Amino acid sequence: MIVCVAVVGHQNNPLYIQSFTDADDALKLHHIVHCSLDVVDERVNNPKKSGPTLNETFLGLLYPTENYKVYGYLTNTKVKFILVTTDLDVRDADVRNFFRRFHAAYVDAVSNPFHVPGKKITSRTFADRVSTIVQSFGLSSAA
Amino acid sequence: MEEYPEELRSPPVALVALVGCSEHHGAMTTHLLSHQPPINTLALPDFSKLTHLLQRSSSSPGGFLKRDWLVKHRTKIPAVVAALFSWDHVSGDPAQWVQVCSDLDDIKAAIRPKNTKLLLLVVVGKSEDISEDRLLALRKRAEVDSKYLLLYNPDPSQLDNSLQRLSASFAELGATFYKEEGRRIKARIEKNFSTPDLQVRYCFKVAVYAEFRGDWAEALRFYEDAYYALREMIATLTRLSPIQRLFEIKTVAEHLHFKICTLLLHGGKLNEAVTWFCQHIGSYKSLVGAPEVIFLHWEWLSRQFLVFAELLDSSSTTLPSTSSQPLGTDQLLSEWEFHPAYYYQSAAQYMMEKRSALDLAVSNSETFNENDDGSAESVIPSVYIGQFARLLEQGDDSAIQSITDDEYTRYVIAEGKRFQDNFEIIALLKKCTEMYSNHKVQRMGSLCAFQIAREYFSLGDFSNGKQFFDGVANLYREEGWITLLWEVLGYLRECSRKQGAIKEFVEVSLEMAALPVSMVDGIQSSKCGPGGPASLEQRELIHREIFAFISGEARLEFLNGLDDLKVTGDNTLHLEIDLVSPLRSVLLASVAFHEQIIKSGVSSLITISLLSHLPLPIEIDQLEVQFNQAQCNFIIMNAQKSPLEAVQSEQHDHRMESAPSLTLTTNKWLRLTYDIKSEQSGKLECTSIIAKIGPHFTICCRAESPASMDDLPVWKFENLVETFPTKDPALSFSGQKAAQVEEPEPQVDVTLGASGPALVGERFLVPVTIASRGHAIYAGEMKINLVDVRGGGLFSPRESEPLSLDTHHVELLGIVGAEWEDESRKGSDKIMKIQQSFGLVSVPFLKIGESWSCKLEIMWHRPKPIMLFVSLGYSPISCELNAQKVNVHQTLQIEGKDAVLIDQHFMLPFRKDSLLLSKVKPAPDSSQFSPLPLHESTVLVVSAKNCCEVTLQLLSMAIKVDDGATEKSCSIQHGNEDLGTAVLVPGEEFKKVFNVIPNLDSSKLRLGVVHLKWKRHCGIEDRSGLTVTDSKVVTKHELPDVHVELSPIIVNLECPPYAIVGDSFMYHVKIRNQTELLQEVKFSLADSQTFVLSGSHSDTVFVLPKSEHVLRYKVVPLVSGLQQLPRISLTSVRYSARFQLSVAASNVFVFPSKPHCNTEKRVEEPAAAAD
Repeated sequence: MIVCVAVVGHQNNPLYIQSFTDADDALKLHHIVHCSLDVVDERVNNPKKSGPTLNETFLGLLYPTENYKVYGYLTNTKVKFILVTTDLDVRDADVRNFFRRFHAAYVDAVSNPFHVPGKKITSRTFADRVSTIVQSFGLSSAA
Repeated sequence: MEEYPEELRSPPVALVALVGCSEHHGAMTTHLLSHQPPINTLALPDFSKLTHLLQRSSSSPGGFLKRDWLVKHRTKIPAVVAALFSWDHVSGDPAQWVQVCSDLDDIKAAIRPKNTKLLLLVVVGKSEDISEDRLLALRKRAEVDSKYLLLYNPDPSQLDNSLQRLSASFAELGATFYKEEGRRIKARIEKNFSTPDLQVRYCFKVAVYAEFRGDWAEALRFYEDAYYALREMIATLTRLSPIQRLFEIKTVAEHLHFKICTLLLHGGKLNEAVTWFCQHIGSYKSLVGAPEVIFLHWEWLSRQFLVFAELLDSSSTTLPSTSSQPLGTDQLLSEWEFHPAYYYQSAAQYMMEKRSALDLAVSNSETFNENDDGSAESVIPSVYIGQFARLLEQGDDSAIQSITDDEYTRYVIAEGKRFQDNFEIIALLKKCTEMYSNHKVQRMGSLCAFQIAREYFSLGDFSNGKQFFDGVANLYREEGWITLLWEVLGYLRECSRKQGAIKEFVEVSLEMAALPVSMVDGIQSSKCGPGGPASLEQRELIHREIFAFISGEARLEFLNGLDDLKVTGDNTLHLEIDLVSPLRSVLLASVAFHEQIIKSGVSSLITISLLSHLPLPIEIDQLEVQFNQAQCNFIIMNAQKSPLEAVQSEQHDHRMESAPSLTLTTNKWLRLTYDIKSEQSGKLECTSIIAKIGPHFTICCRAESPASMDDLPVWKFENLVETFPTKDPALSFSGQKAAQVEEPEPQVDVTLGASGPALVGERFLVPVTIASRGHAIYAGEMKINLVDVRGGGLFSPRESEPLSLDTHHVELLGIVGAEWEDESRKGSDKIMKIQQSFGLVSVPFLKIGESWSCKLEIMWHRPKPIMLFVSLGYSPISCELNAQKVNVHQTLQIEGKDAVLIDQHFMLPFRKDSLLLSKVKPAPDSSQFSPLPLHESTVLVVSAKNCCEVTLQLLSMAIKVDDGATEKSCSIQHGNEDLGTAVLVPGEEFKKVFNVIPNLDSSKLRLGVVHLKWKRHCGIEDRSGLTVTDSKVVTKHELPDVHVELSPIIVNLECPPYAIVGDSFMYHVKIRNQTELLQEVKFSLADSQTFVLSGSHSDTVFVLPKSEHVLRYKVVPLVSGLQQLPRISLTSVRYSARFQLSVAASNVFVFPSKPHCNTEKRVEEPAAAAD
């Protein structure tokens, strides 16, 4: 299950962060998302280490925690997407698929002429669409 | 890792025992320890000790591993026993031999059950012959192979050799022993009847034996086997006391895991080690155990992480390339799993879990076991690893009794209470922070720092906590993580509340209230920090609380008993908000002058805009606007409030303004526009705005320019309506908080009177007049600068350079005519500094309407245009040094020109020509000088041309020689020096003829310098005096050097000055030989159609030395007019030089008839000369 998704801007500032748990660990998830930016930075700054992921938007598994897995995605405009999931056994393809759809939703949201680039995304449509994507995560492969 | 016993942490070292001949033990022990791999030695002085050592203790197994098993094999049970016999005993009398034999038998009996290997050492003397028989007998007796009977020679020459052999045999025998032991136990495993307990134990032992002989692969394999066997046992926890059993299993698993990881890491298999660790944690993490001792589980997990972190940490120093190894093929591991800090962090995390579980367990145990019977006492670790038992002491006897789970629980809780976990957690986290910051991983580092701070906070160490919280808050502020920042600030607020730091408390509270926490992303969570949930309501709550507090209406309940901290009376609270302060979102002041340049004394507009992001409106009582010019400061009063008494008493000298309302609402600019007037020129900058709220609270806010205002760091990402600080949007983009105040308009005229070109060499005067129109002049100073018009910079050369004409083409000579009316009054401040291109002169005090003038004397050395800058600085009011200065500038371009151009040329006398050899055959070096014949008179014509636009009057022209040498070498004759009134209009040329006779044969003769004295010629004599003081100017012109040589042949033409058609006249060509040699001269005369002549046309004549030859022709002109006489050309054979007289020299005018005029006399003279 996806517990948190986030869009992080150029200055590593959160543009959109939403957790999907009933438990009171939103703050913890915020911390996890924030810490994962370190890994994104490292991946981006040392592209040699990541080798095959060069030129790829999907950054893969970022950061191990005991209970979560954190995946990252970097758009060509250097906006970062972070996904935190509790599923310890996640297929890469599912995550890639998720990020692709999420990216599409993000592009639609920032294409809104009333959206100021670099500001937080407050669009309700975007939020709805994200929760749909989050809910359908993993289902397609199971079906 | 330190809590593990040494024998577990380090790889086992083989152990051997030495018996007998104790005097040699020392050398052997030392040698064996330095052997590779090292061997530990037990040195037993006599044979009886050995039997004690090898006593076998047997008991039924009650656990997996005995606590002392490892240490036993490392310190007590030797693999090899070396029996040392001295050769004396072996070869001695029968009694001695019997003793040897019995000792040997004892040893054999003692070592047999343990399978210990035996090595015989015979210590031989220096030169004893060895009998093979005895040795053989000894060997037979001991039943050892021949190679295990060694001779040991302590003689220094032989010692090394003996020791070498000794250690080799020990190593070999030791390996055999451990191998056999391993094989023996392996056989037991393979029999497969053993219980899982035994299985684990046997595998462990095999692995340890393998380690003893350095077989790491096998050791690893059997440790893993033991580990798996143990893991399987968890499913079958059937024993009566499951808590203890589980703990025991975990402890053993921990030991095994530690061994495996150590081996893996030593083998450089980092990937495998990390994977193994993940498996280990994965398989045991869910084994939480009984709820009352759950903290044991967390502690255990924490320890796993800590130990692994330490292992990684220590191996990363030995393994050279840990960073390159990760992420090879195994993509399941991320790079962070190779980072020890990650494990430290997790260890700390579990330690926190443990602490909270322990707290719960302690409180439970306290409530349920009020009557603690002390059953937790006298519990000690039992002989088996991971087990505990009670030590019953009755008198001297003691017995071990196993304990129940309940007792065990009480025991561990009691133990757990003894430790301060907080400090351990802080230590772990500090290590993490340090490691993260070394790797520049700041966010994870700051998370650790935040956790540290929370630990300090829970410990009540607020000052330490605050330090960490501050660092973390900075990062979150920078990156705009509002929810995280909110939490940290909540803690900080609580820290300052607890510490009673009111100012900080107010600051943090205000910052929290002004954070962009909205309904959209607010977190409704019960797990929030002391700041409460991040929500709009909470912000408003904090806002109300703080403003009630600072207005003095309410006291904060936390400050109970601390009355002196209340903000009343003299305790005023003053906040400073600078350009980087996080409190900018609380109050932001933007100040814009409507005009960038304002006139002194003229009022202009200034807009002060205030913005607050506090959730509720705030009312400001008064605003004080401060400038860098203090007299401009003014105060804005809130009209709705009665003026505060304090203001009236102390600040009455400032301007007071009043505003209808000073209420700031959220995200709405409060714009106030007022007049501003400054009397002082220069920069006028608004420095700060001080807002006063309530009687004792002020906020000083640094003024910012709207044009260069930074966004608020936390608000810039919010989707807000963009607002402008000023009504005029253009001013919002370009407005500045500073304006330039112009100095007052000067009321003084400075006139530069000169015009027209200046002439090189004269002292050109530029009249300067300073006339005061409306200002009196105090402390006036006039600066004069001469600047090259072409941008060549100032003429002023470096001070060090000597004055030379080359460097100063134009020079300021002085200032004349500066009339100080009262010398005594002005004497003290009279300044006059003159340099080549710069001058400074003080101007006397002038009343309004007065004027003062002086003249600048400028001399041009080269023709060059210059720009003259004159700037007058004065103070219109008083003489004080710091008084406002007014500057007047005036410039004038002046052209510098050459007045006259002097030229010269040489001419020979008419119809006379000298053969000058240098002319005929020009030598390459002397060609540049014009040649002059020696002792012959040469005409020098000096011409002076007026090349300026001014009419000049020439006064005199003369050629002057510098020294007497020239006087002898040549004589120059000329007419009167004085030229009278020779007026030269522009463009006109004046010529003067000089006669030069060189007296000295010289290749380079200086003729001298032409001195031309002139002055400007003006119709009105007075005006010339106005501009030029010394009107007579001397222009010098150096005549070129000449080359003087003796001419060998001189030719003279002689003919009458005119002729008449049909009248014959004589035409002589005189050739004079000046040399001592006979000269052969060829001549030829060209016929002319206009003349009939008689005489030889061409011939060769010989001219005797120092004599003259005359060619005579009688010529009759046929045609009138200016005619060319038949031209004669001469060739000197000796010099093979041909010369012909110039055309002008052979021209003669032919009259058609004899002219009838009164020129007869003149005509006759040349005719007479011709005769």
